[in-house]
Order: sequence, then structure tokens, then C-alpha cells
Amino acid sequence: MDTFLSEKKRTIRRSVRTFCQREIQPIAKEIDQEASFPWEVVEKMGKLGYFGIQVPKALGGAGLDTVDYIIVIEEISRACAGLGLCVTVHNSVAVYPLLAFGSEEQKQKWVPPLAKGEKIGAFCLTEPNAGSDAAGIEASAIRTNSHYVVNANKVFVTNGGVADVCLIFTRTDPNAGRKGISVIVVERGTPGFVVGDLEDLCGVRANPVSSIRLYDCQVPLENLLGKEGMGLRIGLAALDTGRIGIAAQAVGIAQAALGEAVRYSKQRYQFGVPISKHQAISMMVADMATKVDAARLMVYRAAVLRDQGKSFSQASAMAKLFASEISSEVTDLAVQIHGGYGYSKSYPVERYYRDARVTRIYEGTSEIHRMVIARGVLGD
Amino acid sequence: MGIQIIVCIKSIIANGLNERVVRSSDSRELNPYDRPVLEVALRIREELSGTITALSMGPERCAFTLNEAMAMGVDRGVLLCDPALAGADTLATSNALAAAIKKLAPFDLVLFGTRAADSDTGQVGPQTAVLLDLPLVTGAHSVEPKDDGLIVERSADGFLECFEVCFPAGLTIHSSANQPRDVGLLGIQLAFKEREVKNWNLADLDLSADRVGEAGSATNVLALSRVESVRKCEFLSGSAVEQVDELINRLSASGMI
Repeated sequence: MDTFLSEKKRTIRRSVRTFCQREIQPIAKEIDQEASFPWEVVEKMGKLGYFGIQVPKALGGAGLDTVDYIIVIEEISRACAGLGLCVTVHNSVAVYPLLAFGSEEQKQKWVPPLAKGEKIGAFCLTEPNAGSDAAGIEASAIRTNSHYVVNANKVFVTNGGVADVCLIFTRTDPNAGRKGISVIVVERGTPGFVVGDLEDLCGVRANPVSSIRLYDCQVPLENLLGKEGMGLRIGLAALDTGRIGIAAQAVGIAQAALGEAVRYSKQRYQFGVPISKHQAISMMVADMATKVDAARLMVYRAAVLRDQGKSFSQASAMAKLFASEISSEVTDLAVQIHGGYGYSKSYPVERYYRDARVTRIYEGTSEIHRMVIARGVLGD
Repeated sequence: MGIQIIVCIKSIIANGLNERVVRSSDSRELNPYDRPVLEVALRIREELSGTITALSMGPERCAFTLNEAMAMGVDRGVLLCDPALAGADTLATSNALAAAIKKLAPFDLVLFGTRAADSDTGQVGPQTAVLLDLPLVTGAHSVEPKDDGLIVERSADGFLECFEVCFPAGLTIHSSANQPRDVGLLGIQLAFKEREVKNWNLADLDLSADRVGEAGSATNVLALSRVESVRKCEFLSGSAVEQVDELINRLSASGMI
């Protein structure tokens, strides 16, 4: 029902869907069960421009807009939420901050290989004692004449197991509270840079989420992104954009579940008819379809506002909150429609159910988003 | 100037079954048998340099197939678009395509898929080549530039045929010829930003209305219906040897072996 979109955007959707159906769908179950990162497919995605969707052509990207971007994320996530997560985090909260806050030298150095998928990016903020309370991070960066000495213990880093370019949120001024946080770019291979074990997750298992620890890493002063003290500003700007991508991911998961539920309900016979003819099931499908569509339109709105250069924080928070919550509802109903088979790994809906759950947690929990939205409405 | 290639492509019905279908990118897609053809053209251009023109016929909303072709790397797209062209059978279609190809001259090579996934006739390529008086090799699975022409291979009934083809020529490309490249995001951006689809109508083709569309069709579809097949499953009884004997008898009696 996206006939209101331009032909270009529908061409983008068709091309990504074709690629995902051929390359990702056949391996999605396997990479989920084995929690393996499919390098071969990721390399192909890089060549098609999926890792530099909104990066200007001059820096090796495709130069598309935010609506194009969320179409790509939804389609990839529909095939595999773990890969959708990889692409959205890479684009939104690793590449985008470099484009928005990086110097010309930093952009020229890091963005082209990231945009082509030759390198993978990661956003390293969360620590064992600092999740929603981002300002509570304890990572430190002590400045000397020639470099920063960085110590950090970052957890739940999406793409952590494979990331080459990491945006590390760290304290450059321990006495300045929220204004003492800065972002320093650290590359894999820097002495003292250690990738921890991969997390054994409930869902999005194809994504190599891990901890990243820095032990007295000496990092060039030129790797500071923006200025010292800009860390939270950079983080919030990144997350404002990132949550549009996560919302698109949630829509993709929900759409996949809806598609399977419709397909199954038409071929499963009980009491002499396909179960889709039973009103209990058809009412569920109607609710699922409406919720997925509503969520998608909220994601489009946030993307359009961003492209228009207008304030979009409220819209992206609402889109992420709503899309993630309906994604859990829709995948739960999809399992229910499948009956016992929905509880079996023989069918994909249990994977969608597991994948959807985390979308209510990362890049801002539902609770945090409710706070953000309430503040926007009530003005407190 | 390099080699001048024209690739004829079609938008086909993706799903649904009607006698006359409303075509749009939601209900239709680029004929999958045309993708390997575009890939052949792109590879020849990579080797010889030149220009590729994608040519299609249909209502304006079918232009998406040409956009996709340009997103793959084709240089330009031409859409034959006129109400008079609607309802065409393969002969009327070939009349229109041949007229357009003459207007696009000079050209070296005209390429077609072996068939369209919806109508499945396989006739448009050969008919158009005849109208243009072009030598034609059908079902090519290997096309290699050589001197002022091509070396073309095709399989036929267990044999491998090898042809030397001089320009200008026509080919229909077998679907197994290659794995077509995927459409990348930058390609789509460039296709929509820097390239455009030209629309040609009947007047541009310098053809009379009785040569094209329903009026120019020598054949007429009387009815279209889905074939319903009922599957039966029968278990043969007896020992393995008895089952094999029974199976052989039945296959032989039905003429299958």
C-alpha cells in the first residue's frame, strides 16, 4: 500500500527485497541458530551501497534520503533482523555522527571505507553501570601532549564482534558532569583494544553483539569527534536518527510475522475451512495489519521531517516507541495463529517473536521514550 | 562511439490473472528473462565501450522497468507509449518495436530475452528480427566479442552450436547465460537523477494504427483461465521388486519411458 511513494522509492524497495529474498532469507534461520555473521552476504550488501545509504556520493555513498534509508532497513530486517540491526546501527549511529560532527580530515579518512562496507562501525556508549543513565558512564580519556589514554568497558556493543571503527563515549573531564563527556574514535587493532566474548542473545542473533574494552589505549588527539564536552550532544543527535532506523527494523520484523501469519492461516484447515475464515483469526489479522501500517507511516513521518530539516525528535521517539511495541504484539499474535507450530523452530515466527523483543529496549527503552514524549507534550 | 546495443525488455504481470491487466509497478515486474539480457549488454559494453538503450512498450506506469534497467547501468530508456498500442499480440508488438529500433539506428546489436514470463510465447524476438532483416541466433548462453562481431554459443538438444555473428545482428539470450548483477542503491539514485525515460507515441514511430495494438494483431486471446490440477497419491504394494516392476509397467504404458 505504498502507492503514494515515488517510483524511485518503490524501485529501492523492490531491489532490496529481491536481494534479501535471494541472499538472506535462505540463510536467516541458520545464522540465527548458529549466531553467525554472514560475511559473504555482508560483502555483497556493501557493494550495493547498503552501508552508506545517506552518505554523499563524493564520500563513496549512495546519497539517498532518510525515507529511502528506512525502506532499506525495513526490507533487510524483514529477512533478518540481526542484519537489519547491523546496517541501521552502522549507518545511523556510527557513520552519521562522523558526517555531522567530523572534521574534513576525519570524514575523508573514515567515511569512504565505512560507506562501502569495507569497514564496519559501532557506537560504544553503554556500560555495566550506565544504560538509560548515559551520563553515568565511567570510561575515561586522559589527554597528554600527543594522545588520549583511553580506558573503557563498553557492553552490548552492536556490531562489536566485527567493528573496525568504534565511537567511544568517554569522560575527558571527570569534574564537568554531563558536559565532561566526549566521543573519541578508536580503531580495532589499536594496542589495548580488546573485543570481548559475543553475547548469547535471545534474538537478533546474527548480529555480533559484544563488549569492547580499552586498556590504556593511546589514541591520537585528532580522533576526537567535534570538541571535548560534546559527547552527549553527539550521542543524542545520533540516537534521534538511530531510533528511526530501529523503528524501521521493528516494522520489518512485524511485517515478516504478518506475512507468515496470513500465509499460514490460509492453508491451515480446522473445522473444514482455512482458519483465516474463522473470525477469531481474521480479527487478529486485521489488527496486525493495521498496527504494522500505522507504525510504518509513523516511521515515514519521522523520516520526512528529518529530510525537511525540521525538528523530528518527538516524531522519531513516537515512531520507535509505537513500532517496537506493536512489533511485539504482532509477532506474539503470529505465534498464536500458528498454534503449536508457532512455538517450533520449524517455522520462522518464533524467531520474529524473539527478534522483536529487543526493539523495546535498545536505542532508548520504551520507558525513556515515554519520558521524552511526555516532556515534549507537557513541556516539563 | 563504441558498440550500439538495443535491449528490448517487458514489464510482466507479477501476480493475478485478468484478460486485460492494469499495469503498474505494484502488480508488475521486469520480466525475469530480460535480466540476463541486460547483463549481457552491460558486459559487452564493459569490454567494447558504447551505448545501451533499453526499449519497452506499455503504458506510462511501466516506465519503472526502464528505470530498473538504467539503475543496472543502461544508458537510456525509450518507452513506446500510446493507447493505440494496447492489446497487441506478438506480431503487432514486433511491428512497433521494429519501427522504434529503426528510429534508434544506427545500431549494432538488438537483444531479447527468450520469452516473457507471463505470455510465454517466445515470438517477439524472432518476429522483430525478421522485420528488421537481421540475422538472429536464439537461446544464446555465451556471447563473446570478436573482431567486428561476436562468437555466440547455444545449446540445442544435447549439442553445442557455435556461431560467428557479424553486426548488425539480433540475439535472444538464454536465461542461464549469466547471473545478472543486483541493482545497487547508487545505480538507482543515478538512474532517477541523471537519466530519463523518453516516451514515444504512434506518431513518433511513423506507423499506421492498423499495424499496432489490437487493430494490428493477427491473433486474439479468446479466453484465459487457470489450469487446476488435482494430485493423486497412490502407494504401490508388494515387495520392492514387485513395486519396481509395477512402476516400470505404468510408466511404459503412459509413454513416459
